[in-house]
Amino acid sequence: MSADLLEVENYSGSFRSKSGQLAPVLHQVSFRLRTHAITAVVGETGSGKSLVALSTLGIQPPSFVRTSGRILFRGIDLLTLDEPGLRAVRGGQISMVFQDARAALNPVFTVGRQLADVWQLRHRGSRSAAMRQAIEALRRVSIPEPERRARQYPHAFSGGMAQRAMIAMAALVCEPALLILDEPTTGLDVTIQAEIMDLIVDLTRTQGLTTWLITHDLGVVAEYCEDVVVMNSGRVVETGSSEAIFTTPRDVYTRRLLSASQLAEPA
Amino acid sequence: MRIGIALVCIYTGIAVLSFFWTPYDPLSPGVGDGYDPPSSTFLLGTDRLGSDMVSRLMAGARYDLGITVIAVSIALSAGTTIGVIAGYFGGVLDTVVLRLVEVFQAFPGLLFAMLVVQAVGPGIVNVILVLSFVGIPDYLRLARAEIHARRDWQYAEAARMVGNRPWRVAFRHLLPNSAGPLLAFTSINAAFVALITASLGFLGLGLSPNTPEWGSMIARGQDGVMTGQWWVSFFPGLAILGLTGAFYLLGDALSDLTDPRRR
Amino acid sequence: MSYDDSAVLRVRELRKHFPMGGGRSLVAVDGVNLDIAAGETLALVGESGSGKSTVARCIVRLIEPTSGDVAIDGAPILSLDPAALSRVYRRIQMVFQDPNASLNPRMTVRQVLDEPLRLHLKMPRQAREARVRSLVEMVNLTAAHLDRYPHELSGGQRQRVGIARAIAVSPEIVILDEPTSSLDVSVRGQILTLLMDLRRQLNLAYLFISHDLQVVRHVADRVAVMYLGGIVETGPTSEVFGSPKHPYTRALLSAAPVPQWGVAGARAARLRLVGEISSPIDPPDACRLAGRCPLQQTSCTQGKPQLTDLGGGHAVACRIVAAAPVTSPSGHG
Repeated sequence: MSADLLEVENYSGSFRSKSGQLAPVLHQVSFRLRTHAITAVVGETGSGKSLVALSTLGIQPPSFVRTSGRILFRGIDLLTLDEPGLRAVRGGQISMVFQDARAALNPVFTVGRQLADVWQLRHRGSRSAAMRQAIEALRRVSIPEPERRARQYPHAFSGGMAQRAMIAMAALVCEPALLILDEPTTGLDVTIQAEIMDLIVDLTRTQGLTTWLITHDLGVVAEYCEDVVVMNSGRVVETGSSEAIFTTPRDVYTRRLLSASQLAEPA
Repeated sequence: MRIGIALVCIYTGIAVLSFFWTPYDPLSPGVGDGYDPPSSTFLLGTDRLGSDMVSRLMAGARYDLGITVIAVSIALSAGTTIGVIAGYFGGVLDTVVLRLVEVFQAFPGLLFAMLVVQAVGPGIVNVILVLSFVGIPDYLRLARAEIHARRDWQYAEAARMVGNRPWRVAFRHLLPNSAGPLLAFTSINAAFVALITASLGFLGLGLSPNTPEWGSMIARGQDGVMTGQWWVSFFPGLAILGLTGAFYLLGDALSDLTDPRRR
Repeated sequence: MSYDDSAVLRVRELRKHFPMGGGRSLVAVDGVNLDIAAGETLALVGESGSGKSTVARCIVRLIEPTSGDVAIDGAPILSLDPAALSRVYRRIQMVFQDPNASLNPRMTVRQVLDEPLRLHLKMPRQAREARVRSLVEMVNLTAAHLDRYPHELSGGQRQRVGIARAIAVSPEIVILDEPTSSLDVSVRGQILTLLMDLRRQLNLAYLFISHDLQVVRHVADRVAVMYLGGIVETGPTSEVFGSPKHPYTRALLSAAPVPQWGVAGARAARLRLVGEISSPIDPPDACRLAGRCPLQQTSCTQGKPQLTDLGGGHAVACRIVAAAPVTSPSGHG
C-alpha cells in the first residue's frame, strides 16, 4: 500500500445552472493525504475546499457535476462506486465532522442514542452494549459526566461540547481510517478551539487516523497540521509541509495569504 | 404568473367597461323570454327572469371584483399598520392586540361574516366593512411576525443610529423588506374574500335581490340546473373560478417582483 | 482606574441585567468602566458571553442599560429623551459586524449614505450629493458603486459602505463591533488599514470590539479584557499582550494560535481553564473565574475582586495576582 491513503487526481467539476449551463468551479485539483498525518486544506470562501471533501464521500450538492479526475482511496476510485459501495465506505472507512455540530446532530434524539445507533449500525449487538460504547466514546473526548450527558438532547450541549460529541461519533464510534473535518472550530471561542484541536491531534495519534482538516485559519494550520494544501478559486496553488509553506512559500497567492494573516505589527 | 396579471386585468377591464356599455340592461327582466339558451342574440343565454347573462356577468364583475379589492385594501392597510406597531414596539400593546386577534380568529371567516351581515343589515358598504374585518387579523399577524423577526437585525439598529425615530425604522425600513410575504398573502386572501363575497351572495345575504352579483346569480339558477338550463348557474360559477384562480397566480408574480435581488 | 479628564467617552459602572422570570436575572454587563481619549483606540476583547457586544449597544442605547453613566465630552447621555438622543448620534456612531445584515437590502449605496446626512445634519440636496461622493472615495470605493444594491457588492465592499455610513456625520467616536470577523482574511487587512487611516485623518476615537487577538494587537492602543460581564484586565496593548497578569488573559493568549512557523514551542506553556464558562444567571458575589482557575484559592469565592492598578495604566482584577505581581511569569512573547 502506498504512503498516501487518499489521492485526489486532476479532479475538476462544475455547477450546473437551472438552464443547463455549466459553471466550472474546480480545476484539476490534485493532492495526496499522507497516511497517519494531519493535512490541512486551506483556502478562503469560494476556494472549493469543501466541495472536494463532499465529493469524496459522495455527498456533494446535486447541482455539482464532475467533469474529470479521480479520487483514489486505498487505490479504489471512489467516484466509480455506486450507492451501496459508497455506503460501505462512509462511516466505516471515511467519516466527516461538520462545522456546526449542534445543527449536524438530530435535535429529537438524545446524544447517547445517536452515537449508540451508529455503533449498532456497524457492530450489531445489543442496545445496552451500544449505549455503553457511546458513553465510553463521550468519556474519551473529555465530556464530563458522560452518563448524564448521553441522556441529554443536543440543544443542552454548548457549541464546544457538541463538537466533541460529533468527533466522538466520527472518530471513535465509526472507527474510520480517514477523518475529514470541515471547519470544525470556526465559530467556537479560541479557548475551546485549542482544546478541540488538541483532541483531534490526540485522536489522530491514538486511533491511527489520517486526518483531513479543512480550514481558513492559518494559525490552526501552523500549530497543529503537518502537511498543507493551499487552494484558491478552485485550484490547488501549492502543497508542502507546514514548515515549508510558512517559511518558504513559493506561490504568490500563498505569500499574500500569509502576509494577510500575519498582520504586521501596529499600524 | 403573467396569466394571473392578465386575468385580473381582463376582469378589471370588464368591470370598468360595464359602467359604460353592456349588450343589454343587466337589471331588466324580460329582455328575453326566460331561460333562453345561448344563441346569437343572447351569447350566454338568459336567466329565469329573462335578463341577459352576458350583461349580468359583466355588471357582476363590478361587485365581486370591486368588493373584494376594496375589502382587501382596507384589511391590508389597517391590519399591517397595527401589526407593524405591535411587532416593533412589543410590550403591553402587543399582548393586548394579540389577544383581541385571537378572539376574532376563533370564528370561521364565512360564518362570522354571515352573522355580522345579518346583524348590521344589508347594503354593499356593510358587506365591504364586514369582509375587511374578517381579513384584518391575518394581515396583522403576518406583519407582526415579519417585523418582529427583523427587529433586531443589524440594519434595523443602523437605521436608529442614522437618525430614524423608531416608527420610521418600522415603517420605512422593516416593512418594505416584508413586502414579499405580505403581497403574496394578499393575493391568496383576495381569492378567499372573493369566494366569501360570492358565498354571501349565494345565500342571499347583504345585497339586494336583483343585484347581478355572481354568487346570487348561481343561486337564482339553481332550479334550472335540474331541468337542463345549465347556463344560468354555470357561467357565474366559471367567472368566480377564474377570478380566484387569477388571484392565486398573481400572488406568485407579486412576491417575485418585490424582491430587489431579482433586478 | 485613572480619571482621564480629556476622555471623549466615559463609561462608569455600566450594568445590564435581563430579567429571566421567577425573580432570576441574567447579568450580561456587571459594572464596566471605560475611558477613551480623542484619537485613541481602545479594544474590548472577549469570547462569547463576555458581554462586549452588550456593552457597545448599551453605550449607544440600542439596548437600555440597567444602571450606570455614559458621558460623551462630559455630557451624560443615558437620561436624554429620544430627540436629544438622536442628536447624540452625530457624535458617536457604530460599524456593525455582519456586512450582509447591516445594510438594508432595498437601499442603494447612495441612499444608505444619504440618509444620515438628511436626518442628522439636515443638509440641502446639493451639499448631500457632494458629501456622498466624497464619502465613497474616502473608503476607496468609486461613484459607480453608488447605485448598486448590497447584494451586488462583495463582503469587503459592503463593510466599506458601513464604515462610510458611520463617518458620514463626522462623529468623534466610532464603535466597531467585530468589523472584520465576517470577512475573508485577505480582505481583513485592507479594511483594518482603512480604519486606521480614517482614524488618523479624522481624529476619531475607536472602541474596537473583537475576539481576535491578532487584530487587536495590530490596531489598539489600549486593551480591556472582558469575561462574564466584567473587565478582568486592562492596560496598554503591548503591556497586556507582552506581560498578561490575569489568568484568563493568559489562558486566552496561550490558546490563540499564531500563523507563524515555530512559534508554538517558544510560546509560554498553555494555561488551561477547567470546565466551561459559568452561568451568567444570578452570579454569586465571587471572582467570575472561580471554579475554572488554576490559581484559585479560598479567598476567590468571597467577594468579587476589583480592578487593581499595577502601574503604567495596567490594571488587573485578581487578588492573587495583585498581591504578588513580581512573580507572575511573562506570557506571550
